[in-house]
Amino acid sequence: MDFSLNEETILLRSSARRYLKEHCPTSFVREMAKDEQGFSRAMWKEMAELGWLGLSYEETYGGTGGSLLDLAILMEEMGKALLPSPFFCCIVLAGLVINEAGNAQLKEDYLPQMIRGEKILTLASLDERGRYDHRVPKTEVRDHGDGLCVMNGTRILVPYAHVAEEILVCADYTDSKKHGPTIFRTLRESGQKILPAETLTGEKLSIVLYEDTKLSSTDVLGSPGQGSSYIEKILPKAVICKCAEMVGGLDRVVEMTVQYMKERVQFGRPLGALQAVQHYCADMATYLESSRLIAYQAASLLSECISCEKEIAIAKAWCSDAYKKCSWIAHQLHGGIGFTEEHDLHLYYQHAKASELMFGDSFFHRMEVARQMGY
Amino acid sequence: MRFTFTEEQNRFRQEVRDFLEAELEAGTFNVSSAGLVGPVSREFSRKMAERGWIGITWPREYGGQGRGYVDKMILMEELFKVQAPVGYHFSADRQVGPALMHFGSDWQKDYFLPRIVRAEDDIEFCLLFSEPNAGSDLASVATKAEKDGDFYVINGQKVWTSRGHSAAYGWLLARTSFDSSVPNHRTCSEFIVHMKTPGITVRPLINIVGEHSFNEVFFDDARIHKKYLVGKENEGFKQIMAQVDYERGGIERLMQNYPVYDRLRKYVAHLKNDDLEPERYAWMKDSMAQLEIEFNIGRLLCYYTAWMVDQGKTVSSQAAMTKAFCTQYEQRVNDVAMRILGPISQIRKVSGWSPSPFIEDLVESYLWGPSYTLQGGSVEVLKNIVAQRGLGLPRN
Repeated sequence: MDFSLNEETILLRSSARRYLKEHCPTSFVREMAKDEQGFSRAMWKEMAELGWLGLSYEETYGGTGGSLLDLAILMEEMGKALLPSPFFCCIVLAGLVINEAGNAQLKEDYLPQMIRGEKILTLASLDERGRYDHRVPKTEVRDHGDGLCVMNGTRILVPYAHVAEEILVCADYTDSKKHGPTIFRTLRESGQKILPAETLTGEKLSIVLYEDTKLSSTDVLGSPGQGSSYIEKILPKAVICKCAEMVGGLDRVVEMTVQYMKERVQFGRPLGALQAVQHYCADMATYLESSRLIAYQAASLLSECISCEKEIAIAKAWCSDAYKKCSWIAHQLHGGIGFTEEHDLHLYYQHAKASELMFGDSFFHRMEVARQMGY
Repeated sequence: MRFTFTEEQNRFRQEVRDFLEAELEAGTFNVSSAGLVGPVSREFSRKMAERGWIGITWPREYGGQGRGYVDKMILMEELFKVQAPVGYHFSADRQVGPALMHFGSDWQKDYFLPRIVRAEDDIEFCLLFSEPNAGSDLASVATKAEKDGDFYVINGQKVWTSRGHSAAYGWLLARTSFDSSVPNHRTCSEFIVHMKTPGITVRPLINIVGEHSFNEVFFDDARIHKKYLVGKENEGFKQIMAQVDYERGGIERLMQNYPVYDRLRKYVAHLKNDDLEPERYAWMKDSMAQLEIEFNIGRLLCYYTAWMVDQGKTVSSQAAMTKAFCTQYEQRVNDVAMRILGPISQIRKVSGWSPSPFIEDLVESYLWGPSYTLQGGSVEVLKNIVAQRGLGLPRN
């Protein structure tokens, strides 16, 4: 047992924290929520230069070969700042799918450009019911021969679909011989309809409609029929990154609430001197500490290729509940001021709920824990 | 960052397991979730002493092994998995020894530490802290220790003294300053008292389980020599606050009913799905998964606290948080277990007809439940510590 981070990881964390503090204040988060693009291209370029985009990719493709734990630490800082960027959908989701699915040529075609910040990708994971359907995809692609493929289906809550050069979809691919889940890329010029969705958060999410969208059989990434297995391979990493991001947001919620409880004077003394308030704060601190430990544990174990399905499920189940509950407590303690648009707290309240709903909520992951226990 | 144990630690864990398995096979003790820190067996403590497992973190000069707290946590985890009878040396090992090393005189260290480490006769300790009017507010103890030449004369009453009836020594907190202008926390001192000192009377208290686990202890002009004062006069409260970190960070507060949890996991795994209403089985799965999550988090918190101690960091808030979290989990285990087992889980061993050893244990465990979140600092006191010392909120 060693709970300390190594030097490089600490360096990464402090540089990320410094950068985000300077470049991603909550005023920027709000600005980006209103912005049509929803992120800053200039910042994306800087993130590439900082090495963030290639952090978890092989050096051959321009990455730095960092561990999943490094990626998680970076995600934690991004979660704390609520950084609006396609990092998660591009670097964590789509990029990792390419990394799993691709042969050397495909990776060479995609990863260096992506890591340089020149190509933004996204993954459309949810079908129109809001389910992760990669095992039995609802979106279908029919191969009409002569290289012509036609895609039909609706994908929802696709992050940054409006700016992505390519959207990856795991679709049910049917040709004359066989069918099965297969990763397709759809280009901007493929002709799918992209409708921006207004959601709980200010994130840039879209509904993507494929209505007889014409693709080519060369738009298949990886092996036909293997799409689901690629997604299954990257999901644990995505879940861990999501947990780390939640831990970052949770950290900020606790920080701002405890600070306010020291400053806000009522009954002639700081609210934080009241025991009822202190107990809420202690509960939040416990949620934070336990969430961080459990998220780091999963990240660290998977970084060392130690099987940890149960630990990952525990992490997502716990972090989802912890972040959400702390966002409730924080609102309760902040009182009226926290309910105003100008205060930052609601950004985290929204982020907590949205994060809970991604990649399975606590009940979903408890069922996974139960399965791991042999039930 | 590494969430696995070293090869050496894995070997150590195996060594402890092998020892315990052999002891269980020999019938030295049974696995059951009894009382607070397991039953008392001097013989068992001796065997642990022979292996160097008492005072394992203490420096070699005091007969210890000089190992880290993570190693100690491994040892404790294995011991509590099977509820090994560690009661004889438990308080001395966990609290008295470390306190003596920090605050004790050379004489006290030389006398007590080697005896504790060897689990000698007449070296069991009880803790004489709480009083009828000093519970959570420990600094307000009223038991007096008045100086009389080379002696202190003790008068007053202590309560909730676990093992007070069998311990040879007591670790006493008493008031030594009677100046009302001095704040309470600077009026107390710590002493070691021999429990057979004339003027000490021990009266049993029966707890809600029906067991005699704790006592009232009365002091009526009990005279103790000044060489038994531990540390500095009037600094006892400060010293105690440092000591209780050791009490609070331990894994025994996660695992005092571990056999209930362990058997419950197996029980649910062996349930025939067809005999159950699907809704009920779904509830069981959800409840069990939640307990498993909490157990894993509690365990991580314990190891993290141990690691922090090894790093020389202050753990007051960390240990308080860990104990508050873990004891609440333990209570939930008992509750979920009884609901899963149903009405039959109420039948106690003394009935003459017992459905299973698991149930015998479970009902006792449920009765012990309320004590989990009280002993060694109530959850509320612990949360105050987290808030004030950990988060820097103002004292109330």
